[in-house]
Amino acid sequence: MLDFCGLEKERLRSRWVSSAEAPEFVQEINKFVSVLKEIGRSPLKVGQAEAVA
Amino acid sequence: MIDQVKQKIKDLLTDRTVEGVIALVHANGHVAPCLYQKDDDLEKLCLGDSETAGDARYPLNKVLVTLARQYPDAVFGVLVRGCDERGLYGLYRLNQLNPQKVVPIGISCPQSLAQQCQCQKPWPDELTAGEKLDGLDQLGVRDAESKNLQERFTFWHDQFLKCVKCYGCRDICPMCFCKECSLECEDLVSKGDLPVDIPVFHLVRAMHMADRCIDCGLCDETCPSDIPLRLLYKKTAEIMDTEFGFTSGLNKDEVSPFSVMGPTPNK
Repeated sequence: MLDFCGLEKERLRSRWVSSAEAPEFVQEINKFVSVLKEIGRSPLKVGQAEAVA
Repeated sequence: MIDQVKQKIKDLLTDRTVEGVIALVHANGHVAPCLYQKDDDLEKLCLGDSETAGDARYPLNKVLVTLARQYPDAVFGVLVRGCDERGLYGLYRLNQLNPQKVVPIGISCPQSLAQQCQCQKPWPDELTAGEKLDGLDQLGVRDAESKNLQERFTFWHDQFLKCVKCYGCRDICPMCFCKECSLECEDLVSKGDLPVDIPVFHLVRAMHMADRCIDCGLCDETCPSDIPLRLLYKKTAEIMDTEFGFTSGLNKDEVSPFSVMGPTPNK
């Protein structure tokens, strides 16, 4: 649905990680952050950033 | 067509199969829902066509749900189009109506209306009057998908920006019956603020419609800002079909994949 509305679907990620699997969680988040860095700022936030600047 | 419907209503009321029939009335220049009871005059009965076909539809199932809650033992007849019947199946599934207490009186939609709705099934299974037309392709969804990501973003962003948060889409929706609505939950939707939180507001509704929306298009018709809500929900419905092989209201004894643990039985 995000994709249909014009937002990169990579921006939403859902994965089940047990509370006993901390390294996996860290790995997952790091991977997600790097993906997000690659996509860049959300088009929804662009206006706000300009307002602040 | 209307004479067949009148005859059927008369028969149902005369032999006491139903307590009353929920249909439409054309009176004082307006079309409005009406409960017909025994010996009532059916002269002003209306099928929802004021000037053109189906331009005065109404969520009669919503009236039916309200009545059924107050009179759980009574049997009611209700005028249905293809979409309304899908709604009935959905409401049976969601335990809002008892199929034993509902007698649908089905009419099919003319080509013009089916075209306008891009309806996949413009006729009810229980057909009292009219002909079965072929379902139509979802050209609107194809068209919206043919744009690139940036264009889609601009399109929907502009559409959502028009929202005045009147809740008309929810209030008219025959499949919206929750006592507590997520769109009134202040953690999700802040009260009184405009523009709405994009895209959260509209996508929350789209998600909740995923296994419910019967594609009647009343939300689209009622929206004062002309947001193409139906297009949004048509896409949700398409995802449900591709992923789970489920279309809301298509089968009387359907089971929603959302209420099943494990693999979907239908696929």
